[in-house]
Amino acid sequence: MNPYKSYDARIIEVRELTPREKLFTLKFLDPKIEESFTFIPGQFVIVDIRGYGEFPISLCSSPTRKPIQLCIRRVGRLTRFIHKLSEGDVVGIRGPYGNGFPLEKMEGSTLILVAGGLGMAPLRSVLWYAIDSGKFEKIYLYYGTKSYEDILFRDEIIYLLKHGEKLNCHVKLAYEVETPSCVYLEKGFSEKVCKGLVTDLFRGEHFDVENSYALICGPPVMYKFVIKELLDKGLSPGRIYMTLERRMRCGIGKCGHCIVGTSVSIKYICKDGPVFSYWDALSTRGLI
Amino acid sequence: MRYVKLPSENFPEFFEKLKEIGKVYAPVRHNSIYKFDIVQDLSEVALDYTRTLLPPKKFFVKPRDPMFKIKGEEIVELIEEKSFVLFGVHSCDIHALKILDRVYLSEPADPYYKARREKAFIVGISCMPDEYCFCKSLGTHFAMDGFDLFLHELPDGWLVRVGSIKGHEVVWKNQELFEEVTEEDIKNFKEFEEKRSKSFKRELSKEGLADILDLAFGSRVWKKYAEKCLGCGNCTLVCPTCRCYEVCDNWIKAYESLRIRRYDSCFMPTHGLVAGGHNFRQTRLDRFRHRYYCKSYFDPSSGFNCVGCGRCDEFCPAKIEHVKVLEEVREGLI
Ligand SMILES: Cc1cc2nc3c(=O)[nH]c(=O)nc-3n(C[C@H](O)[C@H](O)[C@H](O)COP(=O)(O)OP(=O)(O)OC[C@H]3O[C@@H](n4cnc5c(N)ncnc54)[C@H](O)[C@@H]3O)c2cc1C
Ligand code: SF4
Ligand code: SF4
Ligand code: FES
Repeated sequence: MNPYKSYDARIIEVRELTPREKLFTLKFLDPKIEESFTFIPGQFVIVDIRGYGEFPISLCSSPTRKPIQLCIRRVGRLTRFIHKLSEGDVVGIRGPYGNGFPLEKMEGSTLILVAGGLGMAPLRSVLWYAIDSGKFEKIYLYYGTKSYEDILFRDEIIYLLKHGEKLNCHVKLAYEVETPSCVYLEKGFSEKVCKGLVTDLFRGEHFDVENSYALICGPPVMYKFVIKELLDKGLSPGRIYMTLERRMRCGIGKCGHCIVGTSVSIKYICKDGPVFSYWDALSTRGLI
Repeated sequence: MRYVKLPSENFPEFFEKLKEIGKVYAPVRHNSIYKFDIVQDLSEVALDYTRTLLPPKKFFVKPRDPMFKIKGEEIVELIEEKSFVLFGVHSCDIHALKILDRVYLSEPADPYYKARREKAFIVGISCMPDEYCFCKSLGTHFAMDGFDLFLHELPDGWLVRVGSIKGHEVVWKNQELFEEVTEEDIKNFKEFEEKRSKSFKRELSKEGLADILDLAFGSRVWKKYAEKCLGCGNCTLVCPTCRCYEVCDNWIKAYESLRIRRYDSCFMPTHGLVAGGHNFRQTRLDRFRHRYYCKSYFDPSSGFNCVGCGRCDEFCPAKIEHVKVLEEVREGLI
């Protein structure tokens, strides 16, 4: 078996989430692989556009729901390329890679999901897994977005703003740029939507810190601020998990691109992560 | 271990026999440097070479390495390896291959590397240190495994250590070329090793090194040397344990491309660059320090990621010395 060889997968649906992000639903051509492909929320795959290159993308659907989905932001050469593809086109997929969130350990606890921007993609996998499995005490989602137009999975977020409580899921949204749509949304959900940063959303909130886990994903600058707020609330570093990003080539600990750390602790984001606890961040320099 | 003696007069014939395994690559002199190259005759081999420019990793992790042929949506893996002999490998480079093994053979194994490792017949050779070598302080100056045969120079031939089944087979098939080891040979072997042991001029003090470096993250010494460093990446290309690679798809025909991997270096600003322009190692200082941390990473089960071969020093255009940098960081700590 060549671990670098990707499997053919057909794009069965393309949905435009925002002007920059599209949601791709994919099915493996080989029914055996389609059947057996499982993963843990927080894991990622490598998408292979043959003849052009490969890039890592988090699985953003829940393992409880098939087929798999990837939310891809158009930022450069390859993501621009895949944004031009449409239903019926075939790409390569290899993986899943990485460790994923240790959700089994978290069963019975409250989950505090903190998402910034595109960080919503991997956390959506956790969100629906938690809702579908019913194995968690309570689910909080704090989502910070630039503007109304940038809200990923807007229909799902609005649905959960409306009906989340029935699913044991409490959603709050912060936006940075005021537009008429935001103001309208804020009017409708005055308790749950506000102008500000994601940290503003949970600053006043009360959690059972002994029985909660925080799961964070967002741009590199976000982690230190979010973690500080969570620690101030009394959450233990071992209950704070984050998923990180680095340049990646192989996804399996060979190419050396995602190495961080120093002489006492070297970590590969691709295989030791991308999910790390705050203990890891404290013992590995350069992780966040 | 099995020990046999190869008398000088049988050496050329032994060399000829190796050619039955496959192509023989050995150190040859090329202007002012040495390199591993294909050889036909023993006379081409520089038996007393110091170090080659590129280490033996180039046979396993190739500078430019086609992985797949891509034609339309079809993707075909390109693994086809023939048996070959790597003749005259020094013990530091054998240790370096073991470090690469830990990366490339750990699950999931890299099939390209694995195939080449299995096809390689490795003949080690004893050496004398020059002013750059510091392998002794890292314990990599003597290889206990990782070779098929190891030749130690004697006044009248070679003491051969047999390190693998493949090595045994070669000795077995060519018994007429070998003799029993005598007490005289053992005495000479011991003398050589003692003399060699005393010849090391450079030493890396590794006592507590990993922790000391970690504590010295903010040391001014990194900054001082990062300013001297040209960021050329030579030190990473010539290092026998550096193995970062980049992958790209190259079109070779209108409808056909090759997925190729090639050496990358953490000294290149693009090494940590991600889409959107964020760079996880923005400055020369970040990159310079990262390399020292990666090489000085201490794995409790296997030691450091540096084998003390001295290549990075010899081939650094800015004359930055690995041991000196680490010593200064250590001194600067208190
Ligand atoms: C674990 C992980 C999960 C990710 N999940 C998502 C996701 O769910 N949705 C999403 O939109 N993006 C995600 N990304 C980022 C995504 O991989 C990059 O946006 C993408 O590689 C950009 O490729 P490009 O060719 O368009 O960009 P260019 O700027 O043209 O990049 C050139 C090449 O550099 C490499 N590269 C650039 N940025 C990255 C990067 N961040 N990580 C790894 N390699 C990179 C790629 O191989 C790329 O082909 C994730 C990254 C990682 C590491
Ligand atoms: S860091 Fe320098 S001395 Fe150490 S193995 Fe690499 S090239 Fe040789
Ligand atoms: S070889 Fe010397 S100058 Fe070049 S990157 Fe390495 S340390 Fe810097
Ligand atoms: S992506 Fe290659 S080592 Fe992590």
